[in-house]
Amino acid sequence: MAVVASASGLLAMLQEQHPTLKLHALRNLNVLVDNFWPEISTNISAIESLYEDETFHERQMAALVASKVFYYLGELNDSLTYALGAGSLFDVTEDTEYVQTLVAKCVNEYISLSVKLAESNDSETTEMDPRLVAIVERMLDKCMQEGKFQQAVGISLECRRLDKLEEAINRSENAASMLSYCLRLSQTFVSRREFRHEVLRLLVKGYQNFPQPDYLSICQCLMFLDEPGKVADILDKLLKGDKNEALLAYQVAFDLFENEYQKFLLNVRDLLPEPSSAASTTGILATNGRLNQGSRNENGISALTDAGPTAMDSDLTEPLLARHDEEVATDAAAAAASPAAQAESRTPYAERLAKLKGILSGETPISLTLQFLYSHNRSDLLILKTIKQSVEMRNSVCHSATIYSNALMHAGTTVDTFLRENLDWLKRATNWAKFSATAGLGVIHRGHHQQGRSLMAPYLPQNGGTGGGSPYSEGGALYALGLIHANHGEGIKQFLLESLRNTSNEVIQHGACLGLGLAALGTADEEIYEDVKNVLYTDSAVAGEAAGIAMGLLMVGTASEKAAEMLAYAHDTQHEKIIRGLALGIALVVYGREEEADTLIEQMTRDQDPILRYGGMYALAMAYRGTANNSAIRRLLHFAVSDVSDDVRRTAVLALGFVLCSEPEQTPRIVSLLSESYNAHVRYGAAMAVGISCAGSGSSEAISLLEPLTSDAVDFVRQGALIAMAMVLLQTTEAREPRVASFRRLLEKIINDKHEETMSKMGAILAQGILDAGGRNVAIMLQSRTGHDRVTAVVGMAVFSQFWYWYPLIYFISLSFAPTAFIGLNEELRMPKFDFISDTKPSLFGYPPSVVPPAATSAVKLPTAVLSTSNRAKVRGAKKESENKSGKAPVQEGGATASSTNAEGSGDGDKESTSTMKDKNAMDIEGGVEKKAVVEPSSEVLSNPARVVPAQEKYIKFKEDSRYAPLKLKRAPSGFVMLRDMTPSEPVELVSTDTPVSAGGASAAAAATAAAAPMAVDDNEPPPPEPFEYVP
Amino acid sequence: MGQEVDMKPADPAPPSVLSQMKVVITSIEKGVSNKEMRLMARANRQMLVVRRQLNASVVNAFLKHALPAGSDALARLSPFVAGIAKNEKDMDVDTPPISGQSHVSQKQSGLPEVEIFCYLLVTIFLIDQKQLEESKTCSSAAVKRLQQLNRRTLDVLAARVYYYYSYSHELTNSLADIRGTLLALHQTATLRHDELGQETLLNLLLRNYLHYNLYDHAEKLRSKTQRSDSHSNQQLCRYLYYLGKIRTIQLEYTDAKECLLQAARKAPTSARGFKIQCTKWAVIVRLLLGEILERTTFMQPGMRKALRPYFDLTNAVRIGDLELFRQVAEKYSSVFTADKCHNLIVRLRHNVIRTGLRNISIAYSRISLADVATKLHLDSATPVDDAESIVTKAIRDGGIDASVDHSNGWMQSKETSDIYSTQEPQQAFHSRIAFCLNTHNEAVKALRFPPDAHKKQLESSEKRRERQQQEQELAKHIAEEDDDEF
Repeated sequence: MAVVASASGLLAMLQEQHPTLKLHALRNLNVLVDNFWPEISTNISAIESLYEDETFHERQMAALVASKVFYYLGELNDSLTYALGAGSLFDVTEDTEYVQTLVAKCVNEYISLSVKLAESNDSETTEMDPRLVAIVERMLDKCMQEGKFQQAVGISLECRRLDKLEEAINRSENAASMLSYCLRLSQTFVSRREFRHEVLRLLVKGYQNFPQPDYLSICQCLMFLDEPGKVADILDKLLKGDKNEALLAYQVAFDLFENEYQKFLLNVRDLLPEPSSAASTTGILATNGRLNQGSRNENGISALTDAGPTAMDSDLTEPLLARHDEEVATDAAAAAASPAAQAESRTPYAERLAKLKGILSGETPISLTLQFLYSHNRSDLLILKTIKQSVEMRNSVCHSATIYSNALMHAGTTVDTFLRENLDWLKRATNWAKFSATAGLGVIHRGHHQQGRSLMAPYLPQNGGTGGGSPYSEGGALYALGLIHANHGEGIKQFLLESLRNTSNEVIQHGACLGLGLAALGTADEEIYEDVKNVLYTDSAVAGEAAGIAMGLLMVGTASEKAAEMLAYAHDTQHEKIIRGLALGIALVVYGREEEADTLIEQMTRDQDPILRYGGMYALAMAYRGTANNSAIRRLLHFAVSDVSDDVRRTAVLALGFVLCSEPEQTPRIVSLLSESYNAHVRYGAAMAVGISCAGSGSSEAISLLEPLTSDAVDFVRQGALIAMAMVLLQTTEAREPRVASFRRLLEKIINDKHEETMSKMGAILAQGILDAGGRNVAIMLQSRTGHDRVTAVVGMAVFSQFWYWYPLIYFISLSFAPTAFIGLNEELRMPKFDFISDTKPSLFGYPPSVVPPAATSAVKLPTAVLSTSNRAKVRGAKKESENKSGKAPVQEGGATASSTNAEGSGDGDKESTSTMKDKNAMDIEGGVEKKAVVEPSSEVLSNPARVVPAQEKYIKFKEDSRYAPLKLKRAPSGFVMLRDMTPSEPVELVSTDTPVSAGGASAAAAATAAAAPMAVDDNEPPPPEPFEYVP
Repeated sequence: MGQEVDMKPADPAPPSVLSQMKVVITSIEKGVSNKEMRLMARANRQMLVVRRQLNASVVNAFLKHALPAGSDALARLSPFVAGIAKNEKDMDVDTPPISGQSHVSQKQSGLPEVEIFCYLLVTIFLIDQKQLEESKTCSSAAVKRLQQLNRRTLDVLAARVYYYYSYSHELTNSLADIRGTLLALHQTATLRHDELGQETLLNLLLRNYLHYNLYDHAEKLRSKTQRSDSHSNQQLCRYLYYLGKIRTIQLEYTDAKECLLQAARKAPTSARGFKIQCTKWAVIVRLLLGEILERTTFMQPGMRKALRPYFDLTNAVRIGDLELFRQVAEKYSSVFTADKCHNLIVRLRHNVIRTGLRNISIAYSRISLADVATKLHLDSATPVDDAESIVTKAIRDGGIDASVDHSNGWMQSKETSDIYSTQEPQQAFHSRIAFCLNTHNEAVKALRFPPDAHKKQLESSEKRRERQQQEQELAKHIAEEDDDEF
């Protein structure tokens, strides 16, 4: 410094005639610009004109100086233009703030330009500045050279350069992780559907390039692209491979099943070759194989690994061998089919194919789930009993709320003990209450496909006419059938359709429509659609509403022309109920279509009819479910504060929950202001939004937001907050979130409080049901483990949120329940005995302690001093402790604490009480004392199948020396996991399954004719009591 | 200009310096973890409180406490302190021994904020100890370290470091050397949206330019940088002061007056030196504008002596006596030179003439220009022409309300009109009201509302139920009473 005090001399030189002088000035200015830019900036026009002067041969230098000056002036756009003009003089590799800033600006500019280019589609395609492109490409190359592939992938995704994306993935050392990173990005950050599809296509290509393709991911991608053919090809190929590949095929099928695209799964299934034809071809192979057998036996090892003796009969080994060298076989395939081959009907390939189809059609997973839910059912009947007792008889709302609550608590467990024990009480349900009481059976027996129909038989409409039961129970039964077969309704569709055709009673139509919609969810079946439409056109309010919803359910995510038809009818009809049903139906039709749905959404949200606007909110929610799309959020927030109708505002806020369900941590923040709104409807919406998006997360922010709302001044806000809170706290234990306990107490208090308003009481009862849903073994999951949305779940939740208008729709929430189970399966798709470790405290994820019945108030009081049996008790205590260690610790301990507090609380009292009572208390005290001493184990052993809560997944470890190992280690250890058998030679020990069996048909029907109000008359035995130790 | 324009609150004697310093560290750590700028600013203030009691051993102990052993910063900083420790060895017998430090050292966080704070502390300490060269090196090292870091939590501390960096260079008279660095830092701050740093650095740059009388450069820089809303009152004061000076030099007196008065008004009461500087410049500017100041301006407590030359000057201008003016200017020329306003005093000569002119215009309704020239002691070759130009200019500037009759060579004064018949009072009121409202709004904006404070006032559900029950009973009661009447 100090050498020059001012740049004015140099600036004056710019005015000179001679170009050499100008050049000299520019060169010096370029050096001095950092310190003298304020001065130079006054003469910027001179420099600019130099740049524009075609005759001046150092224009680039002028551009560089101008660029720098503009940079200092904060005019980054101008600066960038001149930097581009400076050409090679603008050195991207230079490590100065100037260059860094401009390059960042450059990339931003490029991204916004290319996005604009991509979105404007056809018209006025603005030319991209090639210099800009060059700089960005240079940066990307630099990025890749330095090994920063994630950045490269991110930028190329943002600026929609698929070629660069591909290059980045190919050049990285760890292409697999890069691909999965890219997959995640494409799901979370790419907001345009079409582009996402392009990326997915690229990813599939990338995955296939590996020597060991990751079929799980490929099939996920293909499912998104809706290409069942390719998936079928892959599965077929895998099935023809060795045993591990077959396992992989099953795993793929299970994963696809989890996403619940019924239509897609069915397509895949239908595209797979028929087992019988496959049997014939492979039969030929088998004979060939037998010819080759001699030579094959030399390769003993491979033969062994190929065909493990786990197979049921040893004959199977031979065909397996045969298939091993397929080339030979295909050569020989020209040979005529021998009758011997035909006779061998069950070839392994065909068998595998059949199994795979079983998975794809949902049979296998659903029956496994059913088994799990049945055998692990831990619902607490005492809770229901308390509710029942405290609810007033006359109050029909609370009465049916209790029935709903029971149904949700036992969803999918097939345990209907409560109903059967309280038949008289149940009879109070009349009319629509009867409808929903019957439908509740459908929730309880959800997934019980084989027996479903016979279970419901007593209530179903008889073909002879309407003579039998009331239309309400008949309609309810049809709805129940739909719930049982939800999303897997192949078998029941026809029956429901016939029932719909055979009746003209609007209640039965209502039930049948809902049932059909559920069973044929998303199949876009034309025949059913026409029939339902006919019901709609009868213009009966009750049936029409269900028809509207059913049409939506049928057409989920198809964005078909039908939506316009429905909208037109919604304008025609006078019935608000029908309009509402149709509005929701239309919303369901555009499910997941994102931008594609915008015209329809616009049309609906601009409608004069508030009910259609309300439908528009749902359409936004459905079209942008789980995308956290900014424009959708903005629109919803706008409606939430500006619409004139309370319903629309409430729904707009509620819809935020759906849009944000992929990013639950965002929701409380976004709706926190709305939750303090003066408008009760908006507060209700805020509560539900948090409930929906944070379901099962136990997020403390969500709880803090909901807590004040549970004591809101308005009854229905309390209702919403209680339900939402139950959703948030689902499967959260006290150890993780201490507020669970206080919430349970609050629910109890509200239910018992005589002065509480009915609305919030009902909310509390429902909340109890949701909190312990599905025998405490399910969670609300709107997204599958791979991070994709589960259509059924989201749709179920959306229809559930309609219960504001129509209580029977509460049952739809059962669609969003997913069992939190780890189910390990072997090649035969059976559960082998298999242990693994949950490396954390058992209490962190255990079942909540069961409720202790209030101790017989007066007599039990007993001083701790009178312990003649203390010695015995001590022994027993020790025994008990050892038991505690053996696994089921948390529940027992919980029970022990609870009862020990009882004992402590009791003063001195009657010494004459029965000795058993004494003993019991003594033991409890011991138990309590022991418990303080025992440190909770830091891990527990779980055995297949086991309850694994989503938050628990990261603690799951597999034993090193275990006989079975999961096929894919990277996959989250939950859901259906295919296990590899390490020692196939040993006999397989299977988990004894206690399937819920019911004798079904005949006896039930007989019972039905006998009983006036036939309730829960199936022969399904109640589960045997838990094994217990008899204490004399 | 020579005085330090720093604002330091006076402080009572604290119990233990070291413990207070530790409090500072915790508040910095809390500030970082909560990303709360306020706490960082508080840390700064807390440090100023203990500044006077610092000595080498305390600083040394503090460094050992705050910085992880073996870190770069510790190695760099401790020699500075050690140098001073040697000088004062004989006097720190009574300071606490360093024995107590061993057990606290495990919670050293190694936060860059703490490190920068240590740099800052040592720099200030060195300046206080008059170790200017060392403080220069220390602050330069701090700035170098800051350039490597990019953390928004550092902004508050960084701004302080920049200030002392510049101050230590000013004391050693090497301001010109750091101009480039400051410019670079300023640009960086702009890019990172570090508004406090931006403000501080702009002020330092302006001060830097003005130090060398580079008013042109300063103005160019000032006008070209993007300024956002001010975050720090102190920085705003300084900015206004510098701007006022620039405007004065540029002959834009009205603007300059506004800036300078506002700067003086906004400055905290403890910053007396700054206020005096502002007042001096404001006095000159107002004189240049033709205003005559009230006597109280010069009689403010604590400023009387410093403002004496300006008082005499004002007196001369008020009387409009060129001779007296010349005497005053000569008498105090050294003061004016020190204040760098000698050139402005020269400009004032015109005003003396103009004041004289105004006196004339009030006294005479019409007077010939030749008479004006004699009355004003204009002793040039063509006094009448001079007088004519002076009068014309005064009329154009609004100094006097008159017109010149060129053909007859006289000046015609206008009748003073009734000011209350014009819009003038209304406008004056309006501007005052606007000022008050603005102040009010800014005060409201500056208030901090702790989150969720309003929730405490909401009634709980039990209370509400109680209230509702009472209301219901009351309603029932009233209804019954109504029934009784019929």
